[in-house]
Amino acid sequence: MNMHNGAAAAEPKPAGGRRTRRRLRLAGGLAPYLWLAPSLLLIILVTIFPIFELFSTALSKVSLSGVKKGYVGLQNFSNVLRDPVFWGVLKNTLIWTVGVVGISTVLSLGIAQLLNQEFPGRRLVRSALIVPWAVSLIITSVIWRWILDYHYGALNLILQKLHLIDQNIYWLASPATSFPAMIGVGIFVTIPFTSFLFLAGLQAIPGELYESAGVDGANGWSKFVHVTLPMLRQPLMISTVLNTIYVFNSFPIIWSMTKGEPVNQTDTIITYLYKLAFVAHKMGDAAAVSVISFLLLLLFSVAYIGLVMRRE
Amino acid sequence: MQRTLRRNKALVTAAAYALLAVLVFPYLVMLLVAFKSKAEVYSIPPTFLPINWTLSNFVDIWSKVPLADYLLNTLTISGGATVLTLLCAIPAGYVLARMRFAGKRFYLYLIVVTQMFSPIVLLVGLFREIQWFGLMDSVWGLVLTNAAFNQAFAVWILSGYFATIPYELEQAAWLDGCTKWQALRRVTLPLALPGIITTVIFVFIAAWNEFAVALTFITTETNKPLTVGIYAFFGMYDVQWQYVFATSLVAIVPVVILFLCIEKYLISGLTAGGVKH
Repeated sequence: MNMHNGAAAAEPKPAGGRRTRRRLRLAGGLAPYLWLAPSLLLIILVTIFPIFELFSTALSKVSLSGVKKGYVGLQNFSNVLRDPVFWGVLKNTLIWTVGVVGISTVLSLGIAQLLNQEFPGRRLVRSALIVPWAVSLIITSVIWRWILDYHYGALNLILQKLHLIDQNIYWLASPATSFPAMIGVGIFVTIPFTSFLFLAGLQAIPGELYESAGVDGANGWSKFVHVTLPMLRQPLMISTVLNTIYVFNSFPIIWSMTKGEPVNQTDTIITYLYKLAFVAHKMGDAAAVSVISFLLLLLFSVAYIGLVMRRE
Repeated sequence: MQRTLRRNKALVTAAAYALLAVLVFPYLVMLLVAFKSKAEVYSIPPTFLPINWTLSNFVDIWSKVPLADYLLNTLTISGGATVLTLLCAIPAGYVLARMRFAGKRFYLYLIVVTQMFSPIVLLVGLFREIQWFGLMDSVWGLVLTNAAFNQAFAVWILSGYFATIPYELEQAAWLDGCTKWQALRRVTLPLALPGIITTVIFVFIAAWNEFAVALTFITTETNKPLTVGIYAFFGMYDVQWQYVFATSLVAIVPVVILFLCIEKYLISGLTAGGVKH
């Protein structure tokens, strides 16, 4: 996405004179493709091929044991689209993705600003911010599941001690509490990457910009709106796209905390399709759901790339 | 600005420490439970601190589950995926940063598209392919998938980093009689070391932490990586939390240390890859 920027910046300069330029042109024949070949091979083998396989499965009748039994057109898709569960799951996915990405972005903007200030112990806090990023998502989610435990969890214990509740709460039993709790965990693990990206962006902003804004009488907030935000435009776009893709595709949090229960009420598309494929063994339906979710992400990405291209 | 800063300094510090508390809290809970006996874990009313600190969980886990196998598998997957990723991504990142060629844009789109597929969306297709290769239930299947799914990110960081290294340095080396390959090896690669280290650690950690593909493709207990292995302690009716968290600690400590090591590269790596000056 950004690579052509970097590449354009390093476009060979004609400084080396005619000789270098001729070498470059000679090298421009088959060579680039040879350099690219290993990467291309790996990508084709492990992602492009399964994509074909996925589309062909989505259009086939598949037996319970996973054997394809011929072309059935869009029947798998109509099975899926006629199922009210799918629409509930789609709604959850939307809330999940927008909630986690949106709230994480806003909080990370604040955190990046905070960690860009001087204060005692800044190194420690920055290091701590790395921890949820480094730790496996599955482990972090399992810990939160324990914290939210009805009998023994730390959250109920704390709330009781603070006299905020009299009765323990079954956090993970009802979607009304479990889904927001999982969104919270999603935010918890999304913040580190996003904050570091913004922090990198903030450090690239020349201090003079703030000084001259100060001379013009800008206060803290208007400096943020008129200097910081425009300068963070690129990290903001990168984080939004990458986070949307990661969060949409996220599996371990929901899988380890509720498994989408009760009755698919906390499933997102990803956990739903996993269950279709590997629990219910409906490979055809699962492939159809995969294709639908791919198309959703593709739509989003094309819109995004369009936006970036227009800007350039 | 300076004056506002000073006035707000106490506020900034307080907010930062509140953030610190939230970030550390879950891992502190994990740490404490790992030092409790089962009876204490399931005592009512619950307590934060262990009453009797015990190390027995850390001893028990090695015999309760094939933890040494889990660890070795995770190391193989992460190490193998990292090597394979670099072998493919270094030449690709280099050529993207240095040369113009037909189809460059196509390749860029291609890796953006692969970035959009999580392994889970592809699991259905991948499942058949892994079966076809005979790599079902094998760590090598996971090496392959992890390397492929980290390819886009690795190429992205590396090409961004190569682009920051002046081409003139390499051209000077050519004039001194180096071949292209020698110039790359002796001039560019050493200079790109921070970018390469960042990539190595990112890929290593991503593979170390991967869960969904391993969950689907590995069935034999002794072939499981750590992330899937801890599920052995989740019984039908109760969970051995003290073991879950002791094992988690074993899984977490190496990656957290690795990550802390690259903290200083992290910002420059993200800057080079993502943010144009």
